[in-house]
Amino acid sequence: MDYVLTTDSLSKHYKHFKALDRLTMHVPKGAIYGFIGKNGAGKTTLIRLICGLQQCTSGGYRLYGTKDTDKEISRCRRRMGAVVETPSIYPDMSAEDNIREQYRILGLPSFDDIPDLLMLVGLEGTGKKKAKNFSLGMRQRLGIAVALAGSPDFLVLDEPVNGLDPQGIIEIRELILKLNRERQITVLISSHILDELSRLATHYGFIDRGCMVKEISAQELDAACRKCTRMEVTDINVLTRMLDHMHLEYQVLSDTGADIFSAVDITALVLALAEERCSVSAIHQHDETLESYYISLLGGNRYE
Amino acid sequence: MNRLLCANFARLKKDRVFWLGMLFMAGYGAFIMFGNYMDSIRYGKKFYIDDAFFSYAIIVGITSAVFCCLFLGTEYSEGTIRNKLMVGHTRGRIYLADLIVCTAAGLLMTLAFLITAAGIGIPLFGFFHTKPETVLAILSGTLIMVIAFTSVFTFLSMMIQNKAVAAVTVVMTVFILLFTAIYLFSALNSPEMYEGYSYTDDDGNVVEQEAHPNPAYVSGTKRKVYEALMDILPTGQSLQYSSMSAVHLWQLPVYSVIITIVTTGAGIIVFRQKDIK
Repeated sequence: MDYVLTTDSLSKHYKHFKALDRLTMHVPKGAIYGFIGKNGAGKTTLIRLICGLQQCTSGGYRLYGTKDTDKEISRCRRRMGAVVETPSIYPDMSAEDNIREQYRILGLPSFDDIPDLLMLVGLEGTGKKKAKNFSLGMRQRLGIAVALAGSPDFLVLDEPVNGLDPQGIIEIRELILKLNRERQITVLISSHILDELSRLATHYGFIDRGCMVKEISAQELDAACRKCTRMEVTDINVLTRMLDHMHLEYQVLSDTGADIFSAVDITALVLALAEERCSVSAIHQHDETLESYYISLLGGNRYE
Repeated sequence: MNRLLCANFARLKKDRVFWLGMLFMAGYGAFIMFGNYMDSIRYGKKFYIDDAFFSYAIIVGITSAVFCCLFLGTEYSEGTIRNKLMVGHTRGRIYLADLIVCTAAGLLMTLAFLITAAGIGIPLFGFFHTKPETVLAILSGTLIMVIAFTSVFTFLSMMIQNKAVAAVTVVMTVFILLFTAIYLFSALNSPEMYEGYSYTDDDGNVVEQEAHPNPAYVSGTKRKVYEALMDILPTGQSLQYSSMSAVHLWQLPVYSVIITIVTTGAGIIVFRQKDIK
């Protein structure tokens, strides 16, 4: 698999505080990578490192296969755009002037495609209105437009929907999906709004206290979160034999438990198990969401 | 770096603080010349353009300080410095581009004063009475001093990420340096001896007071240190230029160049290691 970004035991310490602790992650090309963790878990620190705003204490990362210590990393960064924490825009300039400024920084010879960029982010009608008079959603979209100047193929968004109203959240979501599907831009989004991420992400990375807890694709997560009937029995061998006999899809969890994914006639199954002297100690419907997966992965009330 | 300079100058062109600074310096030039013209009429005193023409040397330090901390502080407060770093510009180039645009702004504000003051002052008072080479030396010295000022302010503004803290620090620095220079200037200009004088007391006796040494007179090594500080500090230079009293006229630009090189070198080294939020 081609990766846009990989990190290898990446660490960042602020004096004695370990913001990132040997973090390893893989962002596949073309993915929308949801980077999940509570406040202070190290999401923004990672983004600052890969954007070149800060230097890592140990370990390293590769951007398009180029090591962070390689001189060519500066050239690679031109292929990425980012909005870190707040949109990086000049409040006394209009949307168009802000993008023009970024075009100059990038050394782009023509401003001809600025109207298209403004239209893409839905700011085509803002005229000479200064960015300081924009709504939060408009500022966020302008920040994304600035990040998109130079047509990057990797976009890094740090908490892009924080503080937005529902309409703003929908607009940003649609924009991200559009960029990913129509322009094949790989997107790394950090967020703790899990419901929103679950509508976008194709891959997830769960970070806690600076460490990567788990990386999982949306497909794998869907499989893990499938609606199922979870059974606890005294003899797992009898249960699996019965399930095979009934042609039911299942997954063994332990010596006493299994998830059954197909619709199951509970009465018939329990009676069949009873005939084989296998008792059912528990049975319940299991329907996990990203949120419950996150809680079960990172552990209960210690987390958001 | 051309791209960064192009972007910085485009921003400077639209910067409100810069244009306010230009307006202030031009207005100050007009005020100084008209004010002295009115005084010369009121008191019947002959006034030469030389007497006030270089007074901008003090003011430009303050206007440059305000401009630098606000212009560069915005890069941090609005996070726009990230846009430059994230697209692969090196920190050294970012620092130098910022220094160049701040220096250009300081020099343009100086030019705004010079054009106005010369445009009004020369028709009113005639040309300089000081030797042309001295005028040129002071003029070029002040311009190099402006570069030293902006390099110090750029250093401070780039080191402090909080715009408000940077603004307070930079403005405080320029005023502390200015008051230090005023103190040194005053100490160095105090006379070595109080002149003798005579007066008639209440009984009609003429009392003669002989000349006696000034206890506040600075001499020896302390005087040399004071003189060196007056030459090295940009604010000390500005006082000497504005009063056209510089003794080591040809040394002052050398000190300015050294200040520029040291602060810029240190600034680039520290900025390279700095964690940007």
